Amino acid sequence: MFDTLGDRLNKALDGVRGSGNLTEDQVKKVTREIRLALLEADVNYGVVKEFVSNVRERATGAEVSKALSPGQQVVKIVDEELANLMGGTAHKLSFASRPPTVVMLAGLNGHGKTTTAGKLALFVRKLGKNPYLVACDTYRPAAIDQLQQIGRELSVPVYTEGTGPRPEEIAERGIKEARDGGYDFVIVDTAGRQVVDMEMMEEIRRVRKVSRPHSVLLVLDVVTGQNAVEVAQAFQEYADFDGMVLTKLDGDARGGAALSVVSVTGRPVKFASEGEKMGEFDYFYPDRMAGRILGMGDVLTLIEKAEQQMDQTAAEAQGKKLMSGKFTFEDFLQQMQMIKKMGPLSGLLGMIPGLNKQLKDVEIDDRQLGRVEAMITSMTVKERRNPKLLQNPSRARRIARGSGATQQDVQKLVKQFNEMQKMMRQMGKGGGMPRIPGLSGRR
Amino acid sequence: MARSWRNFFRKSTDEEPEKGQAVASPPEGAEEGNGHRSQEVVPDEEIGSAVPTAEEVQAGRKEPAPADEWEVEEPSLADETLPEPSPAEAETEAQAVAEAQESSGWLGRLRQGLSRSRASFVGQLNAAVAEFRDVEDDEFWERVEEIMIASDVGVPTTARLVAELEQEALEKNITSGTELRELMIDHATRMLEGPVELDISHTPTVILMVGVNGTGKTTTIGKLSRFLPGTTMFAAGDTFRAAAIEQLQTWGERTGTPVVARERGADAAAVAHESIQAARRTGTDVLLIDTAGRLHTKVNLMAELDKVQRVIQRQMPGAPHEVLMTVDATTGQNGLRQAQMFKEVAGLTGIILTKLDGTAKGGIALAIANEVGVPIKLISVGEKVEDLHPFDAREFAEALFGDL
Repeated sequence: MFDTLGDRLNKALDGVRGSGNLTEDQVKKVTREIRLALLEADVNYGVVKEFVSNVRERATGAEVSKALSPGQQVVKIVDEELANLMGGTAHKLSFASRPPTVVMLAGLNGHGKTTTAGKLALFVRKLGKNPYLVACDTYRPAAIDQLQQIGRELSVPVYTEGTGPRPEEIAERGIKEARDGGYDFVIVDTAGRQVVDMEMMEEIRRVRKVSRPHSVLLVLDVVTGQNAVEVAQAFQEYADFDGMVLTKLDGDARGGAALSVVSVTGRPVKFASEGEKMGEFDYFYPDRMAGRILGMGDVLTLIEKAEQQMDQTAAEAQGKKLMSGKFTFEDFLQQMQMIKKMGPLSGLLGMIPGLNKQLKDVEIDDRQLGRVEAMITSMTVKERRNPKLLQNPSRARRIARGSGATQQDVQKLVKQFNEMQKMMRQMGKGGGMPRIPGLSGRR
Repeated sequence: MARSWRNFFRKSTDEEPEKGQAVASPPEGAEEGNGHRSQEVVPDEEIGSAVPTAEEVQAGRKEPAPADEWEVEEPSLADETLPEPSPAEAETEAQAVAEAQESSGWLGRLRQGLSRSRASFVGQLNAAVAEFRDVEDDEFWERVEEIMIASDVGVPTTARLVAELEQEALEKNITSGTELRELMIDHATRMLEGPVELDISHTPTVILMVGVNGTGKTTTIGKLSRFLPGTTMFAAGDTFRAAAIEQLQTWGERTGTPVVARERGADAAAVAHESIQAARRTGTDVLLIDTAGRLHTKVNLMAELDKVQRVIQRQMPGAPHEVLMTVDATTGQNGLRQAQMFKEVAGLTGIILTKLDGTAKGGIALAIANEVGVPIKLISVGEKVEDLHPFDAREFAEALFGDL
């Protein structure tokens, strides 16, 4: 749907190459494209205006380098300006010297506060903390149930008093309870509210006052549009947040709202929340968001994800096996499971620059991996180690029955596997480049 | 001028033959047959053990569960145990609410909702319009563009609207700001107009509620049921999110509506299947099926939605009769992608624009109407039940462009 900014700029600057400085006319074309790209990404138009004028200044008279196309060069300027604005490095959590650390969540309805509460609890537990949840959403039906269910899933205690008492009273008693119980990280979940609702905004001010939080996080849905600025300003006034959690990042929204809020309030995005699984939560890396807003992919995240999930030595051993042609279905299965740990394939592929564009209309079916996995797990160990056995149709039939696939599916898998093995062997001999297995998958 | 609830529900297919479903609800016998065939999809035994125990759903709840019989509704018992209002009563109630709402002036509420903290926005437009001198003033048009972008209308739709306006203003030789604003409202209205009525001419009429996470599906189901004539039933098809079932059950309790539910993690298609059976058994007029929020980019979850659709269709040809998608008014341009994908997978019949009570202007509605072509049917301007309204294109456009 969207062209990347890079494509657009190259189009706008078609023909300009290594010819000294960018002319005023070229800069005008360029800034127009930047403006449109940012508006399409939902960056607030006021913020866009200011931003574009900064870029214009830097781009006017900028020398066209031989290494980069003029389009690329402008992208670089834009990228640097964006990263500048978003803040350079990730903001790590700091903990109170005298526990418990209290964190309060605030935000509009439906932006993901309660889910974030659970995710944050799990996140800090991984950092060695002992989290405690306090349920202060006394308005939305079953909001407390939701937090309790999440707490149960994670084995994190949830303090509730039902929907009767006022949220600030619940918060106060909940925090005290946590302190008495020896918990060192308290997360106060609050009700979603609209910023024009003065009663509710006064309420969050009171909850903040009694909670005396060390940190207040504004939870913001990445799809938020132009009004992100008004929302952020209101929450700044009433809840005085010091950072943001950007949620639903697993969608395809470009997330310009994050830029709007940061530039208007000066408060950084601290956490990125991706999906509905509790583990899909991490520190926010501002430099990577710039790429997303511009539609330029995100290599760094991909690399880091891969590093986290793949056991380095195991990967090396497998690589060797791969090249020697001794790769079996067993190894294949293991690799596939590693890839699955990295999250949905569609998300992963979206992070590879260039691929993002090629794939924008292709749907990647993560279930395909599951089907392949089912077929492999239906094989006997002997078969997995010696795929030649599978040329026997009765074996293929049995596997098909066991995995709910058709016999043709099984035969196709075996055929593809054999071809891959052959290719790998050749590459191993020729010293070619290894690649990520599994990504060659079928569609 | 305000669109009333009274004409909102289309009960007879004759009224609008070109839109009428070719498939009327099948006779009793056929229904039995259909129901039986779709057992393939949902095995009998599963349905038999459908209803979760209260412990499963409610375990850990500290507070006493309010009115236990609501926690998990056994559909077949619905008539006996529920204080179900008769159709006539329900209608009176809906009318009463509708009247109360009209007397307080829903247009006023909408305007208020839309304009509370956007005084600057209207002010800007007023200033721009006041400064309007002639059609060839580029700066003026740039201002108009900016104002539309600032309300999430998006670049392509803004460009189209401004181009149309510019041309017509030129043709009609418009020189006053007031005339120009009239023209703006006309154009926006035309863009937004579409069939708003809900088709509830079937027994049961099946309404499927879809949308991305946190856009207000469950809340809207609760509100809508208060306005629907006849008897209603809810199906808790969000079996994924924690406490989604309880949330719908609370609404069932508030509105006196039976809820068909299974345990969390159950197959959503099975819940849908079972709810249609229950709705038929009890002669329910309108069945509202909730679904889990899903991002339109998740292939698996969209496929699941497709499955829910197919199960409903197989069991009751022609159903679901309405597929409504909730869109949060604060949504930016991604709302377009959302609507496109849901339209492809679920065959949307309408959009419900929610949370118009904040600072968002809801301009994404204009973009969706223009670029995706799904009509906006309802808007929600507040948290109360009576804050749900049938959509009126002109009034929305007027509210969007401020008072004259």
